[in-house]
Amino acid sequence: MSEPADKLLRKIAAIRTDATNAASILRSKEDLEKFRVEFLARKGRVGELFDDLKTVPVEEKPSLGKELNALRSEVENTFSEAQTKLEVGSIADAQQIDLSLPGRGVKIGSRHPITQTLDDLQRIFVSMGFSIADGPEIEDDYHNFAALNFPPDHPARDMQDTFFIADDVLLRTHTSPVQIRVMEKSRPPIRVVMPGRVYRNEAISARSYCLFHQIEGLYVDRNVSFSELKGTLVAFARQFYGQDIKYKFRPSFFPFTEPSLEMDITCFLCSGAGCRVCKQSGWLEILGAGMVHPNVLRNVGYDPEKYTGFAFGVGIERTTMLRLGVTDIRLLFENDMRFLKQF
Amino acid sequence: MRISHKWLSQYVQLKISSDRLSDLLTSAGLEVEGIERLGEKYDGFVVGEVLSVNKHPNADKLSVCVVRVESAGRTEGTGVQVVCGAPNVSARQKVAVGLPGATVPKNQHDPDGKPFVLAKVSIRGVESSGMICSSYELGLGTDSAGILVLDPAAKPGTPLAEYLGIDDIAYEIGVTPNRPDCLSHIGIAREVAASLDRSLRLPDVSLREDKKLPISKAVGIEVKNPDACPRYTARLVTGIAVAPSPSWLNSYLTTCGLRPVNNVVDVGNFVMLEYGQPLHMFDFDRLEAKKIVVRDAAEGERFRTLDGVDHQLDGKALMICDGKKPVAIAGIMGGANSEITEATRSVLIESAFFEKRGIRRTARKLGKSTDASYRFERGTDPNGTRAAADRAAALLAELGGGTVISGAVDVYPRKIKEGRVRLRVAHVNRVLGSSFVASDIPKLLTPIGIRTQSKGGDIFSCTIPTFRPDIEGEIDLVEEIARRAGYSSIEDKMVSTIDFSRKPFLPSGSAMLRDALEGMGFSEIVTNSLLDAETLRTGWPRLVEVKNPISKDLSALRPSMVYSALQTVAHNANQGTLDLRVYELGRTYAKSQNSGTGTFVKGYVEEEVLSICMTGKREPNSWDSKPGNVDIFDLKGVIATLLGKIPLDKIRFICYDSRSPLTEQTIAVEKNGTYIGFLGKVKADLLRVFSVESDVYVSELSVSALVQGEGHVRKFVSPSRFPSVHRDLAFILEKDVTMESVEAQIRESAGRLLRGIALFDLFEGKPLPSGKKSLAFSLDLNSSERTLTEDEAARVIDGVVRDVRKKFNAELRSS
Repeated sequence: MSEPADKLLRKIAAIRTDATNAASILRSKEDLEKFRVEFLARKGRVGELFDDLKTVPVEEKPSLGKELNALRSEVENTFSEAQTKLEVGSIADAQQIDLSLPGRGVKIGSRHPITQTLDDLQRIFVSMGFSIADGPEIEDDYHNFAALNFPPDHPARDMQDTFFIADDVLLRTHTSPVQIRVMEKSRPPIRVVMPGRVYRNEAISARSYCLFHQIEGLYVDRNVSFSELKGTLVAFARQFYGQDIKYKFRPSFFPFTEPSLEMDITCFLCSGAGCRVCKQSGWLEILGAGMVHPNVLRNVGYDPEKYTGFAFGVGIERTTMLRLGVTDIRLLFENDMRFLKQF
Repeated sequence: MRISHKWLSQYVQLKISSDRLSDLLTSAGLEVEGIERLGEKYDGFVVGEVLSVNKHPNADKLSVCVVRVESAGRTEGTGVQVVCGAPNVSARQKVAVGLPGATVPKNQHDPDGKPFVLAKVSIRGVESSGMICSSYELGLGTDSAGILVLDPAAKPGTPLAEYLGIDDIAYEIGVTPNRPDCLSHIGIAREVAASLDRSLRLPDVSLREDKKLPISKAVGIEVKNPDACPRYTARLVTGIAVAPSPSWLNSYLTTCGLRPVNNVVDVGNFVMLEYGQPLHMFDFDRLEAKKIVVRDAAEGERFRTLDGVDHQLDGKALMICDGKKPVAIAGIMGGANSEITEATRSVLIESAFFEKRGIRRTARKLGKSTDASYRFERGTDPNGTRAAADRAAALLAELGGGTVISGAVDVYPRKIKEGRVRLRVAHVNRVLGSSFVASDIPKLLTPIGIRTQSKGGDIFSCTIPTFRPDIEGEIDLVEEIARRAGYSSIEDKMVSTIDFSRKPFLPSGSAMLRDALEGMGFSEIVTNSLLDAETLRTGWPRLVEVKNPISKDLSALRPSMVYSALQTVAHNANQGTLDLRVYELGRTYAKSQNSGTGTFVKGYVEEEVLSICMTGKREPNSWDSKPGNVDIFDLKGVIATLLGKIPLDKIRFICYDSRSPLTEQTIAVEKNGTYIGFLGKVKADLLRVFSVESDVYVSELSVSALVQGEGHVRKFVSPSRFPSVHRDLAFILEKDVTMESVEAQIRESAGRLLRGIALFDLFEGKPLPSGKKSLAFSLDLNSSERTLTEDEAARVIDGVVRDVRKKFNAELRSS
């Protein structure tokens, strides 16, 4: 076969593929017209090939002419099929319904991001064998402070600015009093998480609000150790923040636990490089925890020589803000639908 | 607490980077919350020595200088070439040179003096690799006419910050309330020394005392309340010249965030930041009768502190007095009547140990927290007062030229001894899950000042220094051991001990409510449970009020969730969102007669409430329908659907209810005859309070009533295999006959074959006479045992028609 003929045959094959592909993505009358101009117009790609035919040696012309005619009728068929499909599709029946009209709105609600975080945390801890308990928000001094080893007139109380209802009655400043209530009512083994709303007498700003939510965890049994506390927290953090997080534990202070710790994970916004959210440290504090102080165990009538336990607390708003990238806590309590609808 | 790197290095050899020190402190439980390099803005500036000055070939006012910017030993200094425009530049001067890359704090050619970054440039054809700066350009002064000429002794290559004495680093450390010992440089140094396994170097205090007149002859001290003031130590320094402090002292204090005042006041602050022992400096000549009396305040006694504030004290405050009058509130602040002035010549140094609870109580009562009270209320070292007093006296003598009077007055009737705590290694390992051995214990505890004595086996008797009041029991030592060994040295274990024998308690009922409501288009809101007490007091006699609110509008706990819903409606209306379907699961609060059951505190109750709120359009607008606004039947339908999802026994809507003061068109909801909540339309006057202009429909239901009966599995009813008979009946009735009563009658008359009944039309107006209405019901009759015959169905329907006619004087409406 001559070289021009070979070239022509390859062009025919290419146009055949191109036309089939192009036809499959036709979506409007405008698309159809573009297709017609590209392939079927007199100066279109098929038409041009008839000019090329002149360059082919005379003895090969008949067979190639036949090929060309076949291509033309194939492309014409493809075109008219696409045309029919489009017309049937857009004009569904005699009434000519415009199917491009939007669907009628159906309302679906959204779950508040605070609840979503709480749900996720509870699910993880329940899967580890924790039950769920709750307690009152209007709490007495004994359960909120004294039983948790905050002596009266102790500076540790300054860590939690308190709203008072009466001399001895206050709005709980943490979910830890629920630990006491749970232990007062039952005997070890205790393995429970306690979600709830807590209050702090702090001016409202982008960084603090007069109330927020916590989830508290408590595990008391024979031979519960600091080592197991760390293991449990790592398992939790991996489930919640991802399997490949890096973490560290640092000593801290809470009157009701000893030893106490705070857990940091690598800032997931800057991957530890340092950013505004992690205050350039590369680490984010995610929770506080510790071994239940023997005085707390004694206060509920448990023998600290027999039982040990650990407790931990996670701030829900902080966790939610970190997850969503929210920088102003007030957004969580404003309930603006333009915010809530995103969840 | 701000700590200076340079100052800290006086007590422990550091030679580590600030990041390393920061990590080390943080892992010892002293969290570094911030690091500030004070001389940071002079990065890239060094001391230079002008080697030569030549005229610029192409500019009259410029010189071409060669400046050595590295110490002679390091490179054979040819120096760098710098073009300089200052008239006062000359060879052999020591100058401040900014090198390429450095940021000049102030540009003297810029009207606002904005900073700019230096680069290697060519000035009129001559290369310039830096800039010799004026004091204006460095932000050190106003002189911009010529370059700043430095001390001839300055060494080339010295970083400018170091030359200026501001090359220090400040660490902001969040010291937890249990560690008062770390509110000082020595305390922090002790921790650092232990972590680095280096020694702690305490300051060498050498006193030259004037033995002519012992202090006991010069001043008398009487402590009337030794419980509140277990120790009072005083020293006297005379012949002092009050003057500004030397620069080393000024820069230490400035780094730590304190403003230098004068040598006497500054020495007091310095020793406090060094030892953690607050001191008070009295002008001795202003103390009457040369006496100090420590006594309780008289009830109502008045005193003016040196900041000019008048205080009224109660009988529990502790006062420091001279022979005649009070001169300080113990441990908190001194008075203007004895403070140090320019004229002060003799200083009485007070170094006392006050009982922490009393100081904290008075400080809070007066609303005054000072550096001194902060330390006293956390607990200072009772056995550290003398060392601090000696140190201060020595410094006053050195810096103020004073004479130290021989000896100290030290009133310390009952010496506070070091505590002893028993430690069992097995217990340490039990709590920590670790595997320490006895020989580890002294290695870990001794460096932080805890002496250990083996009592045989794995038992130690540990002696706790009095600067560690937080260590009271064995568990405190367990923490010290974990902290010293490093939390990361203890393995992360997880022993699964899920107790499958007990069913975990899971309040999943509320999740079901959320799912159902969200499916019906309601979004969950979470609102503030604090509201304005003033607007609520009249309607809610059992209102719970906050005694110390942050603001008036957050002064009571909500008695009803409706207020929270209305706040949400108002907020969204302001943002242009008028159509709202929201719900909240939250609590309402009230005072009550309860006696404290373990669930609630005596005298209060909290109730878990589901609140539902609708306002605006019934459905979203679409291109072929313009839905109307919601009304009470939309909300009633939502609640009926929601309750239909719950396996509850018997729910009834009661169409009259006076219980809700907030709504009209109120419908009560009952479960088994017990009230569980209401729904209704918010009253217009309440809408006005929240500036809400559209109608709002709300409901409150008790969550405990809704999720009760959980765990019940609903028993199924088998669908009938036989066909149903449908009949429609329309009755013409008096307008005041309720649908509910007609339906009840139909159910009663139709009996057990009636499987379903639904109202499908309500009609009023022509052709019906006025005062009449038509109610059309669709009835579904079925038997699960057989196919109903026409006759059977007709008998039932006839009975229904007969009874309804008779009871309501109704007519059957012909179709």
